[in-house]
Amino acid sequence: MKKEIGSFRINGRLFEVVITPEITLYELLRELQFTGTKRSCGVGECGSCTVLVDGIPTLSCSTLAIVVRNKEILTIEGLSEGSRLHPLQQAFVDHGAIQCGFCTPGMIMMAKALLDENPHPTRDEVKEGLAGNLCRCTGYVKIVDAVVASAEQMKKGEK
Amino acid sequence: MVRQLSVVGRRVPRWGAQEKATGAARYVVDIELPGMLIGKVLTSPHPHARILKVDKTRAENLPGVEAVLSFEDIPQRLYTPNRHDLILYNPENECKDMYLLSDKARFVGDRIAAVAAVDEVTAQRALELVEVTYEVLPAVFDPMEAMKPGAPVIHDFAPNNISMHLDFPRPRGDVEKGFREADCVIEETFRTSKQLVSQLEPSSCVAHVGPDGRLTIWSPGQSAFLQRRKLAEILDIPVGMIRWITPHVGGSFGKYGSLNLEPVCAALARKAGKAVKIEYSREEDSCRTETRQTFVATGKIGVKRDGTITALREKLIVDGGAYFSRNSTTSKVNMGGFTGLYRCPNLDAEADCVYTNTLTTGGIRGYGNSEAMCVLEHLVDRAAREIGMDPIELRLKNIKKAGEPDNKGIPMETCTLETLIKLGAEKIGWGKKRAQKKENGTKRYGIGMAIMMDVSGAHPGSIQHRNAYIKFNEDGTASLIVTAYDMGQNLTGTCAQIAAEVLGIRYEDIHVVNGDTDSTMFDTGIGASAGLYQVGQAVMNAALEARGQLLDRAGKMLGVAAEDLEIRDRRVSSRSDPQRGLSVAEVTMQATYNFQGEHLNISAKGSFSPKQSPPPFAAVFAEVEVDVETAEVKILRILYVNDSGRVMNPDTVEGQVEGGIAQAVGFCLTEDTVMNKASGVLESDNFTTYKIPSTLDMPETEVIHYEEPVPSGPFGAKGVGHSTTVAVNPAILNAIYDAVGVFITDTPATPEKIFAAMKKQSASNGAV
Repeated sequence: MKKEIGSFRINGRLFEVVITPEITLYELLRELQFTGTKRSCGVGECGSCTVLVDGIPTLSCSTLAIVVRNKEILTIEGLSEGSRLHPLQQAFVDHGAIQCGFCTPGMIMMAKALLDENPHPTRDEVKEGLAGNLCRCTGYVKIVDAVVASAEQMKKGEK
Repeated sequence: MVRQLSVVGRRVPRWGAQEKATGAARYVVDIELPGMLIGKVLTSPHPHARILKVDKTRAENLPGVEAVLSFEDIPQRLYTPNRHDLILYNPENECKDMYLLSDKARFVGDRIAAVAAVDEVTAQRALELVEVTYEVLPAVFDPMEAMKPGAPVIHDFAPNNISMHLDFPRPRGDVEKGFREADCVIEETFRTSKQLVSQLEPSSCVAHVGPDGRLTIWSPGQSAFLQRRKLAEILDIPVGMIRWITPHVGGSFGKYGSLNLEPVCAALARKAGKAVKIEYSREEDSCRTETRQTFVATGKIGVKRDGTITALREKLIVDGGAYFSRNSTTSKVNMGGFTGLYRCPNLDAEADCVYTNTLTTGGIRGYGNSEAMCVLEHLVDRAAREIGMDPIELRLKNIKKAGEPDNKGIPMETCTLETLIKLGAEKIGWGKKRAQKKENGTKRYGIGMAIMMDVSGAHPGSIQHRNAYIKFNEDGTASLIVTAYDMGQNLTGTCAQIAAEVLGIRYEDIHVVNGDTDSTMFDTGIGASAGLYQVGQAVMNAALEARGQLLDRAGKMLGVAAEDLEIRDRRVSSRSDPQRGLSVAEVTMQATYNFQGEHLNISAKGSFSPKQSPPPFAAVFAEVEVDVETAEVKILRILYVNDSGRVMNPDTVEGQVEGGIAQAVGFCLTEDTVMNKASGVLESDNFTTYKIPSTLDMPETEVIHYEEPVPSGPFGAKGVGHSTTVAVNPAILNAIYDAVGVFITDTPATPEKIFAAMKKQSASNGAV
């Protein structure tokens, strides 16, 4: 396959990487040591690999890297700064919303996209927004609790 | 010792929460080593075939391929992938029938060859170049067919495909007499689902041979020390030459109680002389790893008109798949559960474990007890209907009390079933809801319930041996060094809570060092909710010992008798003179850097082996809505009344209940394992074809914590995680009956089955 150099902005940093047309965004992220994004199904059915591309929730396992050159890519690593967690991450920690944690990065990124679009969702709206993110451990109850609580927290302006 | 608990019982964040929330947590799939190769496994496309020849030449000659293995390259050592043969008191009930790479293809997905190459594309190409010549044999997929004369023989030692017959070890009385004494006898055959585990992290393993010849394994295995020993035996190397590391684990639910990819990954690494990683795709994980057994269970109950149970019998045909793995222990747990829940003077059970050319089965959450309760709690509801008694009333008549034997025959320290039932019945408004027949257009509403008792560890069936080590830093914080397998159930955090409570310091003062056979303490591994009850007690013993050292030293520093001292919130003080005290940090600093030559690194070991396995109890109530036109079921509400002893951390316990409910929703309604009956191929191999519940499938849930501390447990705690699917399944199925009058005896209760059952019922009622 034909190699070329692609420019990628990931979590605010610029990376120039040798890529071939068939590699996925997930594989690119792995190449660059961003191991927070997880792959559970590889065909876009479970949401574990969700990242934000120009703010839009995107299934990195099913997106070609070549298609997202020069776009703003945000992964789970980009939400926190050292030990300063994003309110969503902190809410997941505080509300018991994490068990094995494998679905967590994709779940949080999807929740972020949801709250960016709808800052005051009802519980039902949160459930619908997260319906494409599978979890085998939690039964989703505390995940929904965490997202709703996080929305409240962010509404109060405490960032 | 401690009057008021300050850490135990609190909703502190789970261990590793920040790591997991920020993407920093590393799982096996995230391990990268220099020069690491990608391994892939070639599996059989046939459900049953002899392997006549494996030609590796073309694969070996492909540039970038560094190892190709077939049957002749591997140790010809039979093993059982599950670790019970190392610890069971009756190891004759285990069955070694598996090779590292199979001598014969026994299911679609059976391991035939393996390759390791420089990248994934090359490894995939190499697999395609391995030429296998098969002699295809007839296959059999149904256990009833497999037992018939003339059926294809899957393992030579079992000519009728019955791998083992098991008789229930604690029969009572005379069941035939008991049935004769009954006014009502119900018998039913139930077939439970071959549920796929579908943990989110795909199966994976990394193996590396160092320059000193030592093998390091990164694996999600649940019993690192036992699995390491097994691997050593398979490879014929000393146990001490293997280091087994457990990173974060993306779910297991019992599956990784068996060896999975470790033997083949280790073999590839040894052949290639380089690190190898194998990571299954979702489809490979679905098709090649252990599933639940299908239990074809014929249960029979005899009941008097006054509700007394006079006899119980269960006969199991266990579709155990192509290899034996955990068939005997799940069957035993099933029989123990079926016969052990209610008081009954006449009971008996037996099981035949059968080979079929289907996926190997394992020990998945509930471990036979889930399946047993589907049958038993169904029979109880049916009997109640027959004699015209409220199903709760019938249960209350027959439940056991403290002191009576549990599902393992051990006298129970506590038994709160009656309280849980009554609490739940009142909360959900049982009487009123049962009396009303609710309809709304095409919707019908029903309410059902079920109860259960489960276990806190696999005592008395096997050795259970736990150790923990605590060592203080000079600043009053401490390391807790323990092999506390955490698949998400937060065993690590709850152990840290115990340590902090006993030591009188804060939760955040404990740092857990976990999961490395070179440095963390020996542990027989996690399963059957052994963790908190057993590992927690070892941690407690270590903490008590360390606390003693701390108080001795503090006593010397203060000039006070150690017995007069207490520790609360990082401060050691005299009970009789509270002003007289020191911070824990002052004590540890003085002990560590001591200029009088009295050095002491305050540290201690604790060990534990149980003499009990106190059952957690639950009463579960389910409300459902069934549409009579589409036969779709919506679970509206689940009320779970839980007694798992002291609640160490409410978030953790609720998390286990809520997660268990989700898995039960899948088992009961949405997760249909579909196998092609002609080809033996698993067709439901990804998340589109095999539907695990999403947010939209979850009912409204409520958990009531009923804490009855059990004397033998750490702070009175019992296990919980294993048990939380067990009573939910039958509660849902009983609710469906209440709604539309049909009992489904073949899970999952899909709309097709419910529709067919409703149609059959209205035909027999004479309605059109």
